[in-house]
Amino acid sequence: MIRYAALAFGAILAGGAFACEHAADASRIAVAGGSLTEILYFLGAEERIVAVDTTSVHPPEATRHPSVGYVRALSAEGLLSLSPSLVLGEDDMGPPDVLTQIQRTGVDIVRIPEMRSADGILAKVRCVAAVLGLSGAAESSISVHLAPKVEELATLAGAAHPRVALLLGDAQGAPLAAGQGTSGDGLLRMVLAENVFANVVGWKPMSPEAMATANPDFVLLATRGSADLRLARSAASTPALRLTAAARAGRVVALDGMALLGFGPRTLTTALEVARMLREPWAE
Amino acid sequence: MTQGAPAAAASPATWLPYLPTRPALIGVLGLMLVAAVVAALAHGAVPLSFGHLLGAGDGLERTVFLEIRAPRVVLAGLAGTALAVSGTALQGLFRNPLADPGLIGVSSGAAVGAITMIVLGSALGLGAGSAPYTLPLAAVAGAALVTLFLYAFANRYGHFSVVTILLVGIAVNALAGVAIGIFQYVSDDGQLRSLVFWMMGSFGRATWLLILPVALLIAAASWILLRHARPLDLLQLGEPQAFHLGVDVKRLKRRVIFCSATAVGAGVAVSGIVGFVGLVVPHIARLLVGPEHRYLMPAAATLGAGLTILADLVARTVTAPAEIPVSLVTSALGAPFFLWLIARVRPR
Repeated sequence: MIRYAALAFGAILAGGAFACEHAADASRIAVAGGSLTEILYFLGAEERIVAVDTTSVHPPEATRHPSVGYVRALSAEGLLSLSPSLVLGEDDMGPPDVLTQIQRTGVDIVRIPEMRSADGILAKVRCVAAVLGLSGAAESSISVHLAPKVEELATLAGAAHPRVALLLGDAQGAPLAAGQGTSGDGLLRMVLAENVFANVVGWKPMSPEAMATANPDFVLLATRGSADLRLARSAASTPALRLTAAARAGRVVALDGMALLGFGPRTLTTALEVARMLREPWAE
Repeated sequence: MTQGAPAAAASPATWLPYLPTRPALIGVLGLMLVAAVVAALAHGAVPLSFGHLLGAGDGLERTVFLEIRAPRVVLAGLAGTALAVSGTALQGLFRNPLADPGLIGVSSGAAVGAITMIVLGSALGLGAGSAPYTLPLAAVAGAALVTLFLYAFANRYGHFSVVTILLVGIAVNALAGVAIGIFQYVSDDGQLRSLVFWMMGSFGRATWLLILPVALLIAAASWILLRHARPLDLLQLGEPQAFHLGVDVKRLKRRVIFCSATAVGAGVAVSGIVGFVGLVVPHIARLLVGPEHRYLMPAAATLGAGLTILADLVARTVTAPAEIPVSLVTSALGAPFFLWLIARVRPR
């Protein structure tokens, strides 16, 4: 409850309302946030997009829209030059002063609340659908494409929870590990794994020694590139990972960061693959 | 004599034949500033025509012009003035042509002050509403602290030689880097990303509410600095000489330090770090009107405002509808100039 209150408070401070209500005019949308662009494509509403931000890289054709910059560093005039009727953003869009400027011109700003869980993704899709006035159509797409994945994830709840570390990048130097309150921690909960770095807050660099002490059985690397799971053999031999059980057993896996941590519809697909993989018997 | 050499490389005699034209030159710079303002107001991601703005412009175009573009141009001009005037004053005070607010750590000090406020402000129980005022104050405090430290250090352990001041600047910048690094380590995702963009500068946050306190601080500080043009000239002869010519050297130093820190701090607080304006602009101004501060300061102020407005125009139009941080533009132009400057001041 406190979390929602804090979110709502944050929204008031930062400009833009958290509301899953039909927007007055959702015909020309500027999207700030990769997961929301994905959702618009998922809902078949891509023809309403007039601009995206630099985190909107999926599906690939989304990058053909004009870019208004990074989600945290939007440009007020640039955004307005595309005459959107609605700015649809993730909860971290900004900077707040730029949103205030946009709001003053009378353009609607809607911020979609972020909950980093399987249900949170469904809630996000429903919220965007409600804003667009597509709730009816959205329910059928959700029940066909998304709900079965959420159910399958839930069936894994009884199984053992493997001990996993989620790192940013390819584990060179002291890689950043997902601690409490991060999107990485949310994903590990979603795939019913135990985060070995649940005792730190935020993304924190980890020394080889800290990594060896935490000794994860699996390591997930959020990297740039293909969304497919792939074994990261070179990363397993870095000083940072070399001493872990995961590296010795060859259980170091790289995935595309946005697919893994974007919390759009495809994160469900990725999470399901990861959840299955974590429970496979691993042959050497 | 190199220690106490005047900030300009050229001797006053070189400029003597041009004396009558200096006010005219400043006038020309003023016209160029007006042209820069007009160009900056006329161009942007949203196509606007002046006919629209004066007469029957529709609501959106008017708001874009009055609430987004105009405050942005004004803020860029103010920040450019602040950096250029304090750069000129610091170069005069330290009798050193490399005394740029960025190089010697004053901008970093201001950034540390501002970042402290971003990360710890909410913990101190200050509401978001007070940010337009607490942020500039914190930045000014940071800038003043660094300037005082530089001054005390140089006074005690040596002279304001080029090498000393730059080495101390490196150390101060490194210390500021430590403070900024610590804040980056403890800040959450959102704060972290604000900090990163803060370090690269942007005038995109400009609103009239934000500009008002900044404009007052910068105008007051620049005005006081301008009034110390004559004592700053005399200081170029050396401190004892200036003292014997009737300059209260101690008071002059205190005022120049405090006013420069105020101007830079106020600018940094709202626009982040904008590199090299404080170094490059005084030099261009000196090439144009010579080393006499009475002419140098107004010339630097006009030129600083104009160049910064143009840099911001580039930053917000070159990748439109997105924009690039303005310090990328000023540093890309300023850093090569800085290298040229080093090559030029080195004894041949």
